[in-house]
Parts: sequence; structure tokens; C-alpha cells
Amino acid sequence: MKRGRRPSEPGRASAARTGAIGGFAGANPLVKSWRRIRALIVREVRATFRDRFTVTILVAVPIGALLLFGFILTTEVKHLALGVLDASQTSASRRLVAELAAQESFDPTVVATRDELERLVASGRVAAAIVIPPSFDRDLERLRRDGPAPEIEVVYDAAETVLAQNAEAYLRGILGATARALVDPAGGRPRVTVASRTLFNPTLDGTAYMVSGTYGFVLSFLAVLITAVSVVGERAAGTFEQLQVTPATSVEIVLGKLLPLGAVFAFDVFLMALVAGVGMGVWPRGSLVFFLVVSAVYVLISLALGLLISATSKSAAEAVQRSVIFSIPLVQLSGFIFPVRNMPTWLQWFPKVFPATHYIAVSRAIYLRGEGAATLWPELLFILAGGVVLVALAVRSVGARA
Amino acid sequence: MNHHFWSNVWAIAFKEARVLRNDPAVLTMMLIQPVIMTLLFGGVVSNTPANTPWAVLDRGRSETSRRLVEAVQTTGYFLQPRTVFSYREAEALLARGKAVAVLVTPDTFERDVASGQARVQLLLDGSEPLTAARVGSIVTSVVTSFRPDAGTAPPTGIVDVRQRFRFNPTLADRIFYLAALSGMLLTNLCLSASSGGIVAERESGTYEQLLSLPTTALELVLGKLVPYVGLSYFVLALSTILGGVFFGFWPRGSLLVLAVVVLPFVLASLAIGVLVSTIAHTTTQSVFLTVFFILPSMILSGIMLPYHFMPSPIREIGALLPLRWYQIASRRIVARGGGLEDVVGPIVVLLVIFTVLLAIVRWRMKPRLG
Repeated sequence: MKRGRRPSEPGRASAARTGAIGGFAGANPLVKSWRRIRALIVREVRATFRDRFTVTILVAVPIGALLLFGFILTTEVKHLALGVLDASQTSASRRLVAELAAQESFDPTVVATRDELERLVASGRVAAAIVIPPSFDRDLERLRRDGPAPEIEVVYDAAETVLAQNAEAYLRGILGATARALVDPAGGRPRVTVASRTLFNPTLDGTAYMVSGTYGFVLSFLAVLITAVSVVGERAAGTFEQLQVTPATSVEIVLGKLLPLGAVFAFDVFLMALVAGVGMGVWPRGSLVFFLVVSAVYVLISLALGLLISATSKSAAEAVQRSVIFSIPLVQLSGFIFPVRNMPTWLQWFPKVFPATHYIAVSRAIYLRGEGAATLWPELLFILAGGVVLVALAVRSVGARA
Repeated sequence: MNHHFWSNVWAIAFKEARVLRNDPAVLTMMLIQPVIMTLLFGGVVSNTPANTPWAVLDRGRSETSRRLVEAVQTTGYFLQPRTVFSYREAEALLARGKAVAVLVTPDTFERDVASGQARVQLLLDGSEPLTAARVGSIVTSVVTSFRPDAGTAPPTGIVDVRQRFRFNPTLADRIFYLAALSGMLLTNLCLSASSGGIVAERESGTYEQLLSLPTTALELVLGKLVPYVGLSYFVLALSTILGGVFFGFWPRGSLLVLAVVVLPFVLASLAIGVLVSTIAHTTTQSVFLTVFFILPSMILSGIMLPYHFMPSPIREIGALLPLRWYQIASRRIVARGGGLEDVVGPIVVLLVIFTVLLAIVRWRMKPRLG
């Protein structure tokens, strides 16, 4: 990212370029303004594509993020190491163990003593362990005559909290169903049963959820970074000051920066949508065009933010440092991984100040529930308002000759 | 390696430490980040459902169905339920994300329960898979253990599953996060600090000065790393104290063992930074590479989400990260109270990673030093 700092790009080249920006006399002011913006755009596009490092990052990071994040969230319990202490050693207890192994959810490790079991859990080699009591067979018999239910102990390694939470329901479900089948092969009877129906994502697959969130991650993070670094680089090389003394106004300079970079990131969004759709089978349930339009608006916000950060940073490294410090809570607070709803209620206003939170919510609504503008307008309005404010601030920070 | 080796390393380390004093970015990483992250992971972010919006489509409107709704409500995961009067309304709520779950009870619910054959329906919004799965299992377990005569009595199903959650009896997310938080902070510190080092010297021309010194590449690299090892111990201590003071979560195992494990981890992380530094051509490039290394490693290492269920290539990629092994070791010591014998494996892996990285760094630096 050393636009304008290359030894191969002497000052006269930029001077010639800045000269072109002012050189249109006698036309209508709007036409003149457009010509200046166009000159700035051409200049920006050339500079961006000359730097191979930037181009690589612009393509590699979004696709890499999609592929990495797309597959990491799963609600399925598969091949989870499970310790088993079968003190009963009867056909009923063996059936129970076989049933746990058969579902592919658990990989049982059979141990002989209580100590061994506790050690397995404590060392983290199994995520959970079950203890079938010696009296299991008799207890089942008692249950058939309407006695109390047999007891099974389950020990979880709750240091892996999320794992324990996921495994709990699965384990209980399998234990209950097997015991029921053992007591009464015909069916059996909890008094109330539940028939669950899941809308929008019946298999509870995490891919679409993470893919739709990754847009927010990439646009918030990468766009801010690239913009901040590019402008700081220009300031360091002095080419930004040259722009400021041309007849171009602040608005024109900002637009000349934002439009081409915006187009690059809009293309990134399109590329990601394509990779997600073709490569990972995740297409938006709602309108793709609508999604692209919303994303384009959001891109402008990130770019404006990048401009703002660059205005207060002296060096490129400092700009990146600032963008990172700004963006890390963004990953954790915007709902990308942790739902905002789960946060303490008194603090929930805070993530809602970030446009990123709303953009991620909107992407998910479009991708997973197929929502449109009719129901999403409050969020859209917020994103738009955030955009207007940030672009206005960015224009102010440029502070060109009025 | 000659007899000046350690004195050379020490001299470079001293020079590096003096430069560091004036670096505000490193100070931020050392002091502000641990505080913010501890508060964030200790008290703010969570994967446990809370304030969950839900709705009830109660067809029979009987005393029994009201009890059932109350039984779900008292689990504490839910907001007050909305009442809806039709499936259309229920599905519209789900489609707009205004409810995560809708419980549907039939109009014959009271009679069904009395005859022991009742059935309720649960509609879930699958667009948030983790929440949907948890909410589904919470509601299912409440409903299947529901007794109309004594809705709040201890549940006795077909098997009485006695659950014991070792190391974290209340299944609080914060113990999961805080037990490995130091890994996150140290990755940020070590990579950011060391990745700029050599590039910056090259840019400012002081690298040539260092080269003219009678030091070898290895001495140069090690000397540059030493001050950050000291800083890392400071950050580790700070984050441990913060977790204890703010959230009452003190390490359960030996602090000494933790201090042993952290050394190969910090060295490996610093070596990654140095490697980045030898690859990048400018400071900016090095910071970029660092950032795009740090972010995915937070997720792939298993610090934020369990790595156990990640699909095959991704899981193995994560195993190449020092952070994966440090978080395994740290959880064993801090959360489970393990000792040295429990973390031998991770220590060995970390040392191997460090050695390999050091070899690569040496090879990368050689041509320029020739």
C-alpha cells in the first residue's frame, strides 16, 4: 500500500494529474464538477490497480473469510468423545451404550473405574461421561411396574462450556428415547410430547448464518483499513495536499475517493455472493439485487469511516492500528458471532449505535428469512442516516480549499 | 554460535526495549486491551440464549396450557411471550425475526394431558442456528417433564438424568472465555509488536546499521524478541488479576505451570511476527498481514467457539496455530486445575512450532545478510 510513494512515480506525474483536475474552463459548474470528480476517479483506479498487494488482498481476504467462517458454526453433535462407565453390564446397559455409539453423535470410550472416568473428564479427553449404575436393570424393571425412573449420572467437562451445552440436549434425548424403548418397545409415554418445526433453515445449518454475517465483517474491516491506509499513504507522500490545492472541493475529493473504492468493494460483495452461491450453495432467500443495493450503501459508510480515521493518523501503521482497535469490538459486539440479544439489557444500546450491527442483521434477514424493504425499513433508515453523517464528517475532515 | 552469543542477544534486547518505551501502540495493547477484553468476555458477549422473544398460540386457553407457558417462562431464558391467534400471525412473527420460537397448544390440550397423550407444536426460526437449537432443547425438556398437577415439581422423566457440570457448574460462558483470554491478548501483543520490527528498521535505514554490528541473524532476532517476552508476562499477570478482581475467576491450577506454558507460546507467536516482517516489503504490508492472521486465528484456534466440531480441513489448519495449543493448555490449567503433566503435549507442540518458525526465519533472512 504505498500508493504515491513509489520511487518509480516521481512528483511530476502526480503534478500532471492534479493539473488535469483543474483545467476545464468555461463550462457549466456541474459539468466542471463532474469532470473533476471523473479525473479523480481515474487517478484513484489507476493507483489502486497498480499495487499488486492491494489487489491480492481485495480478492483473497473476502473469499478466504467466506471459506473459513462459512463452516465453523455447527449445532450438530458429531463424534464427540464420551466416557462410559457401565457398572451394570447387562443387556439393557449394553443396548444403551450401543445406541449412543450408533447415532454417530458420540464416540464412547469404555472405562472400568470411577477414577479413570474422572481423569478422562479432567484431562479434557472426553467432553462428557455417563455412569450407568449397577442397579440399572432392576431399576428398569421397577419402572415397568410404575416405580421411580432409573438414575443415570452424566458428568460434563463444562470448561468447554459451549460443547457441554450442545451435547446436553443430545445426550438426554438419546438416553430418554433408549430407556423408553427398553421399558416399552411399543412406544412409552412422556405425558406431553413436542413436535418441532423449524422454519427457514430446517437443518439448523450454520453455513448460511455465517456467510451472511461475513459480508458485514469484510466490509466493515477491510474497507475501513484499505481506505485509511491509502489516504494516509497519500498524505505522507504529499499527493493529498496537492489535491487539496486544486480547484476540486472537499465533496469532490471525497467522492473521487469513495466512488472508485466503493465500486471495488461492491464488486467484492458481488464476488462473495457468487462464491457463496456457486461454491457453498448459499444463495439469498430474498432478493439478491436488494441485498447488493443495501451493501453498496453500507460500503460507503465504511469508506467514510476509513477517511475519518486517516484524517487523525500520522502514519499508515498508526491508521491500521486505529482501524484494528476500532474493528475488533465490532467483530464481538455486532452480532457477527454473539447475538446482541444475549448481552446484558442495559448495554444493548451500545452495539446498536454501530451501523455494522444493523447491516449484519439486514444481511441475515435477507439471506435467511427472505425479508424485503417492507419489514426492514427501520434498519435501512438507520444505515442510511449513519452513511449521511459519516460522509459529511469525512468531507469536513478533508478540509480542502472551499 | 560463538561465546558472544548471549551478550549480543542481550545488547540488541536492551536497544529494543529502549525504543519500545516510546511506542504508544504497544502501551495500548498492554494496558487498555486487557481491560476491555476482560470486561467484554467476562460480562458482555455470550452464546447462551437470553431475552429470547417468543410467542404462544394457545388454542384451548386452559389452566393447564397456561401452566405450561409459565413453566417455559420460568426457565429465565425468555421475555414475556406475545400472544398470537393464528398460524399466519405466528409465522409472520418468525419471518420478521420478532420471535425466535412459537409454542402451539391444541384446543384439546387439557383433556389430552389428562389422558397422557398430549402433543404440542414448537415453531422455530432456524435463521439463528445456535439459538434455535438451544431454545428448541430448552422448551423440549420443559415440556416433556411437564406435570400438570405440579408444574414446578422436580422433573422425573423416563430416566432420571443426574447431570454434573464439572469445572463450571452453572455453565457460565465467561469461564470458557476468560480461561483462554490471555491467549487472545498475547497473540495481539506479540504479533503486532514483532511484525513491524525488521521492516521498520529496513525502512528507516537502521537495519543496515544493525547488520554492520558483529551479530548474527539469530542473535538479532532473539534480541528483538526478548523485551516482548517480558511484556507478555506482564499482560498475562494483568489479565489474570482482572478476571479475578472483576469476575471472581481465579486460575484453579498452578500459576507456575501457566508461566511455563506461556513461554513457548509467546516465542512461537513472536516468531510468526518476525516471519511476517521478513515477508512484508513495507510496514503497512506487515500490519495488514498481521491483522489478517490474527482475526481468523481467534476463531480457528477454538478460543471463541469449540474447535471440536469444525470440519476437517479447517480443524487441521487451526492445529497449526500456536494459539490452538495454548488455549488447550490454558483451559487445562486455569479452568480444570491441571498440573504440568496435563500440558506436556501442548508444550512440546509449541516448542516444535517455534523451532520450525525460527528455522524458516533464519532461512528467509540469510540472503540479505550474506
